[in-house]
Amino acid sequence: MNRLRQLLLAGALCLASATAAPPVHADQGMTGWSVGVLANAKARIESLGADLGKAPAEAGKAFAATRVSLMSGAGVRGFTYFMILLFVGIAVEWLYWTYAYSPLRAVQAATSATPLQALRLGLRRLLLLGSGLLLFTAATIGASAAFAWPPGMQELVIAATLLLFMLRLSWVVVSIILAPGRPQLRLVPVEPGRLRWLAATAIAALSLLALGQFLPAILEGAAGAIHVAGALRFAAYSAATLILLVGSFAFFGRPPSRRGSALARVPLFPRSFVLALLVAAVYIAWLMSGRAPAIAAIVAVVIALQLGLREMIYFYWRDESDSDAGLGALPAIALSLARFVVVLAGIGAAALALDTPLTALAESVSPWVRIGLRLLGVAVLALLAHGVWIAVRSVVDQRLARIGPADPHHAPDASSRLLTLLPLLRVTTAVLLLVMLVLSSLWALGIEITPLLAGAGVLGIALGFGAQALVRDVIAGIFYLADDAFRVGEYIEGGGNTKGTVERITLRSVALRHHNGPLHFVPYGALGSVRNTSRDWVIDKFNLPLPIDADSEKIRKMIKNIGEEMKDDPVLGPHMMEPLKGKLYRVDPGVKIFRCKFRSPPGKQFDIRASALKRIEAALKKMGLQFADGRQTVLLQARAES
Amino acid sequence: MHAQTVLRNARLASGLVLMAFVAGHLSNLTLGMHSLAAMESWRPVLMGPWRSGIGLSLLVGAALAHMSLGLYAIGTRRSLAMSRTDVVQLILGLLTPPLLLNHAVVMHMAGEVSPGFDSTFGQMLAVYWSFSPRYAFQQICVVMVVWAHAAVGLYSWLVLKPVWRRIGGLVLPVLFAIPILALLGFAEAGKEVLDKLAGEPAWRARIIDNLTKVTQVTGKLDALQAWILLAYGVLVLAAFGIFAWRALRDRLIPVQVAYDGGLSAQARRGLSILEISRLNDIPHAHVCSGRARCGTCRVRVESGAARLSPMIEAERKTLARVAAGANDRLACQARVLGGSVEVTRLLPAFADASAARSPEDWSANVAPSPARQGTA
Repeated sequence: MNRLRQLLLAGALCLASATAAPPVHADQGMTGWSVGVLANAKARIESLGADLGKAPAEAGKAFAATRVSLMSGAGVRGFTYFMILLFVGIAVEWLYWTYAYSPLRAVQAATSATPLQALRLGLRRLLLLGSGLLLFTAATIGASAAFAWPPGMQELVIAATLLLFMLRLSWVVVSIILAPGRPQLRLVPVEPGRLRWLAATAIAALSLLALGQFLPAILEGAAGAIHVAGALRFAAYSAATLILLVGSFAFFGRPPSRRGSALARVPLFPRSFVLALLVAAVYIAWLMSGRAPAIAAIVAVVIALQLGLREMIYFYWRDESDSDAGLGALPAIALSLARFVVVLAGIGAAALALDTPLTALAESVSPWVRIGLRLLGVAVLALLAHGVWIAVRSVVDQRLARIGPADPHHAPDASSRLLTLLPLLRVTTAVLLLVMLVLSSLWALGIEITPLLAGAGVLGIALGFGAQALVRDVIAGIFYLADDAFRVGEYIEGGGNTKGTVERITLRSVALRHHNGPLHFVPYGALGSVRNTSRDWVIDKFNLPLPIDADSEKIRKMIKNIGEEMKDDPVLGPHMMEPLKGKLYRVDPGVKIFRCKFRSPPGKQFDIRASALKRIEAALKKMGLQFADGRQTVLLQARAES
Repeated sequence: MHAQTVLRNARLASGLVLMAFVAGHLSNLTLGMHSLAAMESWRPVLMGPWRSGIGLSLLVGAALAHMSLGLYAIGTRRSLAMSRTDVVQLILGLLTPPLLLNHAVVMHMAGEVSPGFDSTFGQMLAVYWSFSPRYAFQQICVVMVVWAHAAVGLYSWLVLKPVWRRIGGLVLPVLFAIPILALLGFAEAGKEVLDKLAGEPAWRARIIDNLTKVTQVTGKLDALQAWILLAYGVLVLAAFGIFAWRALRDRLIPVQVAYDGGLSAQARRGLSILEISRLNDIPHAHVCSGRARCGTCRVRVESGAARLSPMIEAERKTLARVAAGANDRLACQARVLGGSVEVTRLLPAFADASAARSPEDWSANVAPSPARQGTA
């Protein structure tokens, strides 16, 4: 944890120190600062001039010295060991390729229909080629530990191996991105005519940069030729800059020509010019060795990348967006990640440009540096939280969009549980992320959160007494949801005379729409036992009062027939889980009461009952019967005594 | 047997002879890890046979044959469409004679030009480690170059054979162990020689005495070397010149090849179908890089079979081994002599050496014949 914090601080410091003035001139304001930068640049350029001036003489001397030191037993021994290392490295890589070559060929022969597939194939190729490269480097450097080297030789050999690694790596990366000769694997849209030139330019520039990085180090280590090393570095970087400048105009200057629409074209963003400017800015910054311009150039590159990143990432998902309505979470996450990586790479580049060990930076005492550093730490945390939030939100939204809104006219099914839980999950995640972000931001800002948490504990006890009901509601809610007691769209009856269709579920309460319209907001704590009438099936029973002289058996058969009829009905039939049946239930004075029952899915029983009564009434009429009218027949017998 | 097959086998055989010699020599060097005396005592066993009349003539004959066959292969090459292995082999092969010349001349001529010179390991190592280290660098490079050339050649020949499945696991480590151990032996023996030079004045005096004998004839040896190098350079240039002339001669006469999957390519007359594929970036399997050995490049000729060069013995054998159909040809051997042809590649482009060792495993992958369009 502490390490992470240090890392964040150190990273932030690199950027912060760019904006902060060099410490020597910090107290003299803007003027002093500019003077300092200019003096730095002057000294730097003077030393470069000295390098260039003294290099030829020194080169001759160093060459002679190297010759003498190499043409001896020690030199031969070092060279022999180096050759052995090469053989070992090649042997290990060869062994690797005896297994890995078939997969590589398969990937290279594969075809990709969309840019995304090409990207996946490219990543697989990077894995295969990069593993071989890493194995070679690791084996060579590792085996170098086995020998007793002449003094200074091992460092030289390791530097040479690293140089080899960088050269091969730049080759691998360029061949994966541009894939010359394999148009189906190309990762970026490039005109085929320019491709080989572009690849050659990129490889040349990258190789020159690698040479400029490692070769001077080798020279300094082997012969102590500081001036030659400086001149060589200057030459390599200058050549690389020249190549990049020419390349940026050659490859980004003319947009792909579309014949016929040349007149109607809107003036384009001058990409080539901006690119060339960036390259030149970085080069000049390096030349002057001023920290501020170098950092400014890096910041500019990072911003330029951030602006273009969205387009770049979505390029790979472009073709699938036509077929699929939702792009899915992947591009959003990839974009977020890419932004993160670009910022981190920028910080790394800044650290390299500053040429200062990160640990030394972290111990800086300037308050501005510290504040900037911490703010950057917060920004990194926010970026992380944003990434997680994007991932959760887009997954939830996509799922919800696939389910669609709850349909009140249909019975809730399995997806309604998701419909209940997903929004809740989204809100919960947001709240959790926010709380964690706030807490960790405070921590990154250097504010001790332990007392805060302890204080929150005391306050929490006080609040807890007040918010007892709230807590009870939330906890009860969690259990209702875990028990799957109700879902959105179900009709429930709770304790305390609350009933209705579940419309909305929150952390604390459930909103019930009464069938007459009013909306109840019932806190979970007050919900009590829940009677859910929307689950699985219902049984409906109703009575038929008929005259006492009705034939019970006939009536039973009539009701059964109606039941069969309804089961065959195209509209009602599917809802009849058990057919309508009826039988004599009770005999009251003057009335025979028949009881009918059927089973149906929840919510369908009302329609079915109405239909059944209608059909029964019609059938009774046909039989010449009526419902019992409730009239009592009183028979009066007159005495015949007159 | 067709002349081309004879030449191919001769190149292979001479290469194997040379490799046997180099392996023996390097094994002898490996003994340096034990002691200088061990190197000397094993020398008659490991290198003696090559000193005898028969051995020497076999060795020299093989070296000359291998070199001239290599140059002949350059001269008869039709295009620069080579696999990466072939490029490596070509460069390493061309580098070998100039690098090795000095060593060979000193070892074999010095004894004849200046009687009394003994070319023991101790003598040579003293030269390399103390008196003129320049030659040591040359020798180390030669070990690298020659052995890499030999190992790549042996590997790409053996890997196509069914027997590779059994011996592959043994041969591959040995191929790498031999030069590594030899270089280690070289380094250890070098240490011993340096100690001896410092600690035994008598031995040192003998070495210096011996050395002065050689330096007396250095002029003669250098002149000899210069002549040999000049001749070699002329031969190499001639080979490349013949290649360039042949390539330029045919460049104006285009031919067309139509592939399955709607691909098509254009190239100059006389190139093989495989070379046309490679020059036009069309994925095409070729494990043995065009030596008619593996059979992975085979195609079914849909039309224009008459416009292809006739089949030679090696191609017929390989096609029979992989149980190919009646219309099938090896793309590396079938050269397009004019007009246009239409072919279907039969193996996926990612086919590897296992497709040559056990063609029956890959026959499931062979693309089925598409319905012919119109009348053929």
